[in-house]
Amino acid sequence: MQRNVVVFVTLVVVIMGMLTAGNYLDRRRKHGPIKLVGDVRNVPAPDFELSALDGRKVKLSDFRGQAVLLNFWATWCPPCKIEMPWFADLQKQYGKDGLVVLGVAMDDTDSAKIAEFAHEAGVNYPILLGTDRVSDDYGDVRSLPTTFYIDRKGIIVAKVVGLLDREEIEDDARKALGNYKSDGAPASRAAAGGKTGQAEAGAE
Amino acid sequence: MKRPLLALITLVCCGLVAAQTGDKQPSVIMAPVSNVQLHADGSADLALDFRIDPEFHINSNKPKADYLIPTVLTLNPSEPVMVADIKYPTGEDMSFAFSPNEKLSVYSGDFSINLVLKAPVNAAAGTYLVSGKLRFQACDRSACYPPRSIPVQFQVAVIKK
Repeated sequence: MQRNVVVFVTLVVVIMGMLTAGNYLDRRRKHGPIKLVGDVRNVPAPDFELSALDGRKVKLSDFRGQAVLLNFWATWCPPCKIEMPWFADLQKQYGKDGLVVLGVAMDDTDSAKIAEFAHEAGVNYPILLGTDRVSDDYGDVRSLPTTFYIDRKGIIVAKVVGLLDREEIEDDARKALGNYKSDGAPASRAAAGGKTGQAEAGAE
Repeated sequence: MKRPLLALITLVCCGLVAAQTGDKQPSVIMAPVSNVQLHADGSADLALDFRIDPEFHINSNKPKADYLIPTVLTLNPSEPVMVADIKYPTGEDMSFAFSPNEKLSVYSGDFSINLVLKAPVNAAAGTYLVSGKLRFQACDRSACYPPRSIPVQFQVAVIKK
């Protein structure tokens, strides 16, 4: 009986290994190695080339020397909509200091609807059309919003998944700009994966 | 003594395998449907029961904004069974903490969609498959996830009068 248990455990471990290897190899075959997993702070942000709503091609590396707030969002995402006016404010406030906000729309819908939505949300920064490739390169972005804060050298200083309040977003933007006097809070959020937003439920 | 050990090992291994396959994703499951009987030239009410993962909610069938993706049940009954009506529950109002004025209409926990099934007078007795899908888009307390569909399937026994 003990031999059966050993055989069973060995089988399960082998199957787990095959599943993990299969998943990894499949992704690698499609897009190359997954670049961003786990704690991504101090990791170079993967470069990309995406189409903007106006048709021009935009590369992340076009903005080297500037801090980039890279926000993955979608039109069906209420917390994303809440953040967008805040990002527009930050673009106005810190644009002269070198902050660039880039929105990456992860919708399947047509670009006209994305443009209309962005316009209504007060967006004043480029909206790029996301792809599976860029999602995979940034660690398989499924939860929206997900925002990466990238410093002037192209290094990720924070990743936030989910909705935070405006002050916390501004802290991370200033950190990317390099004029942040750290109290440790943004770093601890990033390490924890950033899921700190909250919602309230209640009857009408 | 050995069987509980095997069960424990299996559970742990399944958990580890699940952990390998990616981060958490919202799920909605449908309770099995049994003994649906429908008389020829008659109608029958049927409730399809769904359960949403506790930490998630999904938009109701009538979300409060055009940009939100509603929960929609699509059914393709085999003739002669007809789906005469689909009644969705009313959503619960909620809002995100940083935007308390923007109300959303959502389902959370358990919810049921009520159907009215019909069969014509000349329906032949037999068992017929009704299949389709439930499309939904889920969020948790701070983030949202891409729209998904789950299969919906049940059988209806048509009985001659």
